[in-house]
Amino acid sequence: MSLGLQSFGAETISRWLARTMWRLEHAFERARASDKPQDDTRIRIFFVGAVFAAGFLALALGAARAALFADSGRDGGYTPPIGAARSDLVDRNGELLAADLLHYGLYIDPREIWDAAETRRALRAALPNVAPERLERALNEDRRTFLVGGLTPDTRRRVYELGLPGVSFEPEERRVYPLGYTGAHFIGFVDGGGQGLSGAEAAFNDEIHKAAAAGQTTQLSMDLRVQAAAEDELYKGVARFRPKGAVALVINVHTGEILALANYPTFDPNRPGEAPLDARLNRAAAAIYEMGSTFKGFTVAAGLDSGVATPMSTFDARQPFQLGYRTIHDYHATRKVLTLVEVFQHSSNIGTAILAERVGVQRLEGYFKAFGLAEPAKVELVETARPLTPRVWDQDAIASTSFGHGMNVSPLALARAYSSLLNGGKLIPLTIRKTPPDYRPEGPQIIKPRTAETLLQIMRSNVTGGSGKSANVSGLNVGGKTGTGEKYDPAIRGYSHSKQVSSFAAVFPTDGPLDAPRYFVLVLMDEPHPDPETGARPTGGIVAAPVAGRIIERIAPFVGIERRMDTAPFTEIVAGPNDAREEN
Amino acid sequence: MSLLGRRVRGFRLIDLVAAGLLVVLVFGVYLAKTMAGRERSEIARVERQIRQEKTRIRLLQAEVAHLEEPARLEHLSVAYLGLAPVSIKRDVNPDGLADVIRMAANTGRLPDREVAPPKHKILTIDPTRPVPAPVAETGPR
Repeated sequence: MSLGLQSFGAETISRWLARTMWRLEHAFERARASDKPQDDTRIRIFFVGAVFAAGFLALALGAARAALFADSGRDGGYTPPIGAARSDLVDRNGELLAADLLHYGLYIDPREIWDAAETRRALRAALPNVAPERLERALNEDRRTFLVGGLTPDTRRRVYELGLPGVSFEPEERRVYPLGYTGAHFIGFVDGGGQGLSGAEAAFNDEIHKAAAAGQTTQLSMDLRVQAAAEDELYKGVARFRPKGAVALVINVHTGEILALANYPTFDPNRPGEAPLDARLNRAAAAIYEMGSTFKGFTVAAGLDSGVATPMSTFDARQPFQLGYRTIHDYHATRKVLTLVEVFQHSSNIGTAILAERVGVQRLEGYFKAFGLAEPAKVELVETARPLTPRVWDQDAIASTSFGHGMNVSPLALARAYSSLLNGGKLIPLTIRKTPPDYRPEGPQIIKPRTAETLLQIMRSNVTGGSGKSANVSGLNVGGKTGTGEKYDPAIRGYSHSKQVSSFAAVFPTDGPLDAPRYFVLVLMDEPHPDPETGARPTGGIVAAPVAGRIIERIAPFVGIERRMDTAPFTEIVAGPNDAREEN
Repeated sequence: MSLLGRRVRGFRLIDLVAAGLLVVLVFGVYLAKTMAGRERSEIARVERQIRQEKTRIRLLQAEVAHLEEPARLEHLSVAYLGLAPVSIKRDVNPDGLADVIRMAANTGRLPDREVAPPKHKILTIDPTRPVPAPVAETGPR
């Protein structure tokens, strides 16, 4: 059955209309027949008047409706509002990090051009960045062609004022990063279609689109002041030690918020295509390293938490230690019996391996996994890398991993694990999103709060009297652990003595209750060169610890950490020469 | 004779009333359309102006953010004004004064004398480009 006019009674209506017209015409005829022509005329005039009145009434109603009830003029105007496709990105204090700004695309229609030579000359002068071949191609087309996009309003005005026929503009939104390279890896960048490709732009891609539609901004955890200070000090360290790559991180250990994430080399997200891949690599998240001695913090925490050791436990570091297939030596051989605190301070591989053996293979593996070191760092960044872990956890594996060899993790994974040790023992995810005040994310309790307190003091003692002295800042009670991991060199099929990853994992302040404000700072340099002034070997204590100290000194006022009495824990604990016999 | 049939100067009253109504109606429609059109163009103009102003504000905000880029400000303030980040040693609140004095007593130095004049260096590399390695390394291998 088809649905046509008949279905709606069109035939009935037409019949009724014909009947009415016939009756009307008949009325005229009746009037003429009864010899009353004036009635005939009157009826006709009335009829015409009624038709006109009905027509005008309809027009009036339509006009009034259009004027009073039309949708135009509502919801931001008669044309679609220039809505940003992506919302603004701002730091935790509302500073602008990324914005969609109005730009213009330039189009050429050769059919409207009178003087092609003049147009060519004028456009070349006004737009020197446009390739001459491209301009030539556009001028020789037989239709309107896109020439170049991303013109700023100022450039558009300059071209517009040339008054060239056949040259027109179309508005377009373009992502702009006004801070240039500052926070480039944190913020990320987008492709030409406005889709996030890295950093927060990729991590919050959908959210940023939704926020734009709602006219809101997207707030990141970054503190621009902290980010800038971290970058400045990191790059000054880079200028001195000339590494292949470098990373600096600042993290609130209680919320997991990343306040700063700096990389070297970096890039300008306004022109990501011009930067080499190496510069666009977010080393903090997407690169993995054998961290070296910064891992000793985890082994020591496992030893303390499992009850295997106390800060006063002693370890015989007089002889190299055999564990599995490995014979372990100390880089700075002390050739004496060390307390656990001294093992940490002297970064003794022997002492740490002995501790690892006491903790046991299964238990140490369990701790490392509980610290989140065997999985990608839990953070919104899509770049977060999967670590390289031992295939089999045995004595050989723990002999290496106990002091940071044989296991590659990203700086963010290391930072997350350390944050969990320093916040009271709760493994929380890291975040690049600003969290509400007093927010404390949930996470599993991986070590006892008492262990976290002790570890804070041990880390402090490493800065007051250990390998991290150069990170000390008077009044801020900085704690930390140095790390110098030799890199595996495929050319020699072994660990290189000249290529290393030097790092410093710092925390400040180490005093106060466990829930007091506390920040973790990581500085890492990949393949640094010896100190140009002293020629000192570029270990973590030489290249990374001073940078971490300077970062901490500069950012402390920004994060609200005030000067306080310096503490110097464990200064009185010194192992005797015969203590090893008792402990081993 | 009915009221509608009455004639005024030869025209029937009903015709005059109808004609008057028609004129009023036409004029009313014309006025309504004209005024609505004028209002519409005025609204469109204001909307356009708001959009342009918003665009300008965003451009200015981006410009301000660009000019306040921390690395740039730091470079300018160090190079031209000799300024430096405030040392933590110069920062203390009233509650912490006692601690500072105690620390000074422990070290035997007055807090003010502890503070050296700022020696803040300007960043000398372009972090977007790899820094060339030293020609000859002096350090031990």
